[in-house]
Amino acid sequence: MASATLPAALSPALLEQPAVRVLSEALGENLLAATDFRGEIAITVERKAWYKAVSLLRDHPELEFKLFLDLCGVDFFDREDQPERFAVVLHLYSVSKKRHVRLRTPVPESDPKVQTIIPLFKGANWFEREAWDMYGIVFDGHPNLIRLLTHDAFVGHPLRKDYPQGQRHVLKEPRKWLLQVPPESEHMIVNLGPSHPAMHGCFRVQTLLDGEIVRDAEAEIGYMHRNFEKMAEARTYWQVIPYTDRLNYCSSFMNGHGWALAVEKLLGVQAPARAEAVRVILSEFSRIMDHFVCISTNVVDLGAITPFFVVFRGREKIYELLESCCGARLTVSYVRIGGLAQDVPDDFVPRCRETLEFVMDAFKQMDELLTRNIIFNNRFRDIGVLSKEDALSYGWAGPCLRGSGVETDVRRDAPYSGYDQYDFDVPVGTTGDCYDRYLVRIEEIRQSARIIRQALDKLPAGPVIVDDRKVALPPKSEVYGNIESLMNHFKLVYDGILPPAGEVYGATEGANGELGYYIVSDGGKHPYRLKVRPPCYNNYQAYPEMLKGGQIADAIAIIGGLNVIAGELDR
Amino acid sequence: MGVFDILKGKFVDPTYAGVHAGGDVITTTVDAVVKWGRKSSIWPMPFGTACCAIEFMALTGSHYDLARFGAEVLRFSPRQADLMFVAGTIPDKLGPVLKTIYDQMPEPKWVISMGVCASSGGFYRSYHVMQGIDELIPVDVYVPGCPPSPEGLVAAVMKIQEKIQTSKQAREPQGAHRVGANGEGMYDRRTRRAAWAADDAERRAAGQQPRGVLTDLKPEPEIDHGAHHG
Ligand code: SF4
Repeated sequence: MASATLPAALSPALLEQPAVRVLSEALGENLLAATDFRGEIAITVERKAWYKAVSLLRDHPELEFKLFLDLCGVDFFDREDQPERFAVVLHLYSVSKKRHVRLRTPVPESDPKVQTIIPLFKGANWFEREAWDMYGIVFDGHPNLIRLLTHDAFVGHPLRKDYPQGQRHVLKEPRKWLLQVPPESEHMIVNLGPSHPAMHGCFRVQTLLDGEIVRDAEAEIGYMHRNFEKMAEARTYWQVIPYTDRLNYCSSFMNGHGWALAVEKLLGVQAPARAEAVRVILSEFSRIMDHFVCISTNVVDLGAITPFFVVFRGREKIYELLESCCGARLTVSYVRIGGLAQDVPDDFVPRCRETLEFVMDAFKQMDELLTRNIIFNNRFRDIGVLSKEDALSYGWAGPCLRGSGVETDVRRDAPYSGYDQYDFDVPVGTTGDCYDRYLVRIEEIRQSARIIRQALDKLPAGPVIVDDRKVALPPKSEVYGNIESLMNHFKLVYDGILPPAGEVYGATEGANGELGYYIVSDGGKHPYRLKVRPPCYNNYQAYPEMLKGGQIADAIAIIGGLNVIAGELDR
Repeated sequence: MGVFDILKGKFVDPTYAGVHAGGDVITTTVDAVVKWGRKSSIWPMPFGTACCAIEFMALTGSHYDLARFGAEVLRFSPRQADLMFVAGTIPDKLGPVLKTIYDQMPEPKWVISMGVCASSGGFYRSYHVMQGIDELIPVDVYVPGCPPSPEGLVAAVMKIQEKIQTSKQAREPQGAHRVGANGEGMYDRRTRRAAWAADDAERRAAGQQPRGVLTDLKPEPEIDHGAHHG
């Protein structure tokens, strides 16, 4: 290694990081910078070395960043400290080394082109399309660089800083064909969605049928693109909380939990123990609820309607529990940066136990109705198989990824909110079919119940929000009683939370898998850029691929098991 | 109105001679009976797109039990439905779809706009979200809330029943009686939208950008998009 070619800023401590060392040896001066902020390694490389850097990260035996997480653009419109206007940012995860890495490359405005990395990660396809759609960054070699989230009549690239937030364009003619019938074939195109009885929510997939067999399939998304990321750029950090509720609305509490943790990481604060324990309890309840919805609506599509009614009674109970804590059933907005909005009700612990008992009873009934049911087995086994390698390459997450046999769980591998204090197992599938994904979910419900019981047993007393006047509002009694608290209150409401400048990627295990928030802060009161790493986006991306060669009826069985939630998919 | 109201002759047409004839004959107007039948057997079609659809599920589930109002036969095909629940945000990309689905419903039909997103865009005041579905289709009842509570939806269904009971819908042109229909002044976003479109066209004809498009900021650089570019 010729150390003379290294950027001067690389300190020896950084060079001890394998990713930095390997890349600096291989790329030399094409490695522009490397930073370690809040324990996250970020490496910036030259554009021309982009592809090489990504392939090294993936294939080098010391690194093995094989799980694709996220790729996005950033617009540093008015930031003088950045070399170019745009940047492309990639997040990867190494399952074997349990490490994240962030790779960035600056992209000039005059020639916004980067080489595509689809040959390395299949999952990059939609992410690159999205980056083009949102920022106009062109990916050289991309096979199909067309609008993904916005519609075809859209003009401009909406996430650019100079695009006005409210500027709409009216679409009159939707995109009609996603596929073409090959000439002289007798194949037929069947269009499912965006409003179709078997699709829960607005998803669309077109299939090319040869009799009952799917020969080709193509999906289109964006029917629920409601601009969370653009809205967040004009909101303060806690104003983002209600928006996060509406990402995966089947388990809205968990999204807020993830967001609070990401901002807390950026700020360097730690929520009190009681708040963390309550967060864990409610998150696990939400996970149970999410899995309930996923499984029961999946089998409703296949004709089994009883489990739906059985588990929805349990879900209603969880709603009541959430309502008793914060007043809302679905969109809870219960977390705050640094803790919770208020303490839980006095009867929280007995109430949780009672709810859990009821819920697990409903769960047991569902389990008995389904798991050994022969019809269900025949419909689910060996359907929609995705191999381990493909799952990693597509960047699958959560129960789906584990169903394909990859043993990873953020709660265990990078514990947050005190998950390390609880005993639980991470279920893993063997074949990666629909039935495995179902079984993983079933087992996760049991593990969640286990975590809840442990957390209830040792729920600590104490405050539920940090005592930091720059992060949390002072208690109302003090605001009314003394001038200093009044000032604090005023300043915080008026100025918002002011985090240090920097970038963090906060990951939590959502019901669908790794839910990440990538925050770019410029020190101001709004996030400069916020990118959600939506787990079901990656899951859904593989869906057309999984259909090919199968029966059309299986398409319905598969999609339910992927648990695609429109709010999270399209943001 | 229930069946007893008919039996008691509350809706009996007094001008009909047979009314006072006595005997086992019940006379009423066809209108009254049809409306009574209609309102007691609404077939809703959920056009659920987002979080509100989840709460809609709670409405049809066992706890809130929409079946009490005779409206439990959910139809996922617009051709078999007479009440559409628009539950959730409607982005611009979905606009043509919503319009198509609405047009496919047979008359007479009613629309409930569930939640603030469907009613006004909600807190998504942004580049890809329709600011209320009444830009495109007429609405009968708006239900506020984000999401509305199931109780609110029950109230909305009752309002629809009331509307069915008292309206003269069958005799009027499509959509004429609803809020958002042409000619209802300040509520009429469809008229407003037509005005906007005319304005845009006028400005384009004069070689100008439509209003609201910022042009003096950094212009987009010319990019060679290549052949495959959409
Ligand atoms: S009104 Fe609220 S709950 Fe309903 S779709 Fe809009 S954001 Fe979701």
